[in-house]
Amino acid sequence: MKILLIEDEPELRKSIKQYLHQEGYIIESASDFIKASEKTADYEYDCILVDITLPNGSGLDIIKQLKHDNSKAGIIIISAKNSLDDKITGLDLGADDYLAKPFNLAELNSRIKALIRRRNFDGNKAIVVNEITIVPEERTVKVNNEQVVLTAKEYDLLLFFITNKNRVVSKNSIAEHLWGDDSDQMDSHDFIYVHLRNLRKKLAEKGCTDYVQTIYGIGYNFKINV
Amino acid sequence: MKLISKTILYYLLISLPLLIIAGFLSYFLIRSELRDGTDETLNHEKSNAEKTISSLVEPKIIYLSSDSLSYIKPSIINFTNTILSDTSVFDKTEEEHIPYRKLSSYYNYKGNTFNITICKTTLEEEELLEGLLSAFALIVLFLLAAFFIVNWLLSKTLWKPFYKTLSGLNNYDIKKHEPYVFESASTSEFNQLNNALNKMTDKIYSDFKQQKEFTENASHEMQTPLAIVKANISLLMQSPNLKEEEMNQLQTIENTLKKLSSLNKTLLLLTKIENNQFNENVKINLIDVAQKTINNYSDLIEAKKIELETNFSNDFEINMNPALSDILISNLLQNAIRHNHKGGKILITINGSVLSVKNTGEPLKIKEDDLFVRFKKNDASKDSLGLGLSIVKSIADTYNFSTSYNYSNFLHSFSIKFI
Repeated sequence: MKILLIEDEPELRKSIKQYLHQEGYIIESASDFIKASEKTADYEYDCILVDITLPNGSGLDIIKQLKHDNSKAGIIIISAKNSLDDKITGLDLGADDYLAKPFNLAELNSRIKALIRRRNFDGNKAIVVNEITIVPEERTVKVNNEQVVLTAKEYDLLLFFITNKNRVVSKNSIAEHLWGDDSDQMDSHDFIYVHLRNLRKKLAEKGCTDYVQTIYGIGYNFKINV
Repeated sequence: MKLISKTILYYLLISLPLLIIAGFLSYFLIRSELRDGTDETLNHEKSNAEKTISSLVEPKIIYLSSDSLSYIKPSIINFTNTILSDTSVFDKTEEEHIPYRKLSSYYNYKGNTFNITICKTTLEEEELLEGLLSAFALIVLFLLAAFFIVNWLLSKTLWKPFYKTLSGLNNYDIKKHEPYVFESASTSEFNQLNNALNKMTDKIYSDFKQQKEFTENASHEMQTPLAIVKANISLLMQSPNLKEEEMNQLQTIENTLKKLSSLNKTLLLLTKIENNQFNENVKINLIDVAQKTINNYSDLIEAKKIELETNFSNDFEINMNPALSDILISNLLQNAIRHNHKGGKILITINGSVLSVKNTGEPLKIKEDDLFVRFKKNDASKDSLGLGLSIVKSIADTYNFSTSYNYSNFLHSFSIKFI
């Protein structure tokens, strides 16, 4: 899986690369418009993360170029300008997703995975983790081939855990994933606890191992021994 | 006091005494002129009488007028000077005193002295004087009336550009995008005023714009460093050897960072609303928005065991930006949830063009006027930014909706009157 990261801020580039590298992706980066257009012209990528404001150019022009070249790469805009206009323009140009800075790396990871799942869709691709099987197309979950009925939030929570498995995900990043911008406004940590408790109960009823480790003070880790 | 009233008052203060003095002066002048005329006639008649005396054969009384007030009479006394005096005679038929001018003179002719007395009524002169004075008074009145009318008309036309400028200034709203353009007037003073105002509003507007752009740019610039910190915290969390205390510190940093970035985001949103960046309006059904918002917050509402009641008595549609209508109603509902107690109540109603959100909760600790002010929090310890209601107010102001708040029966009630 090859990813191109177009971002001018070196520190941010470094941390994104580090996080995604651990996911097993091959990740390349470009720091400005010229380098980015060279790379996109010369190589094929599965996913391109592009910042809109770049030295000597706009990320939107890179998207235009990619679409013009009929590139098959999935495109996620990562922008500091959380403006509706940019978002609409970007998505209209053919970007697949839009993530406003500052974002959580876990959230970025889950967006990339969702994008790749949609892109590589050939047949009903299910995510299988030990006894758990998730079919994202149908939003269904099976444990030991038995259907588990989850609420929308419980499903999102489980998928987010599995996407970021063997990682510590903070309660804040879960809250942002489940409630988006509204997570600022609520005492979301209590709700995560409620949803997680219900999810654990439902999975346990079907004989699923409890993979969720509570990391004291921070959040959780969906730990699967490899 | 209006400028025109002041002008008139000053004019009256100066002109009235002048007019009164002028009135008196003309009275005395005309009177003395008339008297001179009478006296001349009397003197003339005296000469005639003297001629009559010269033609007399022997001294005798001669009456010069039918009323026997003017006569020539032989006299034994002899004065050389002529005496002119005012007198009046009671007229029995008219039953009034009639003013007379009387000439009394002595004349020597061939050793005989004659007393010449000539009386002439001044009634006509008095009447003439009266007539002249009333004419004068009338002219003064006409002048005053004309002055008032002319002044009033002038103030209507001459001051018109001034009032136009004034109403322009009154209606000037810096938040509206256009800098105000004051039309040029034909009066150079008003032109100068308008030019000065144009310059001033241009300057204010450009300063205001720069200020707003600065806020927006500053917020944007902050996003990238925040993103770096956030990303590095995520990476640090993956470290396998963290002690419990270090984890707590990481959590504190992350929570604070979250607060900082949501503060930043909210301020940016406020700036954008005030910059009119949400300018695409569509028809919005308020009930739909309310239902959607309730669904979004059902988790929170359930968790707090809040009893939610809705009462939509009519459909209501409004032309508005969809993002803003969502934010408006979300913020009202969030406010009602946050400042509620467990097992409390929320009542959302739409009645006519008024949407109200009522909730149970502690009485306000801050002043009602401060409710919509940025960063004013009722409870400083609560984990809120104190910006939710300022956003509500800001959106309402953009569309000229009116907001109101009251507290009764232990219910806080926020109402938005659309239109």
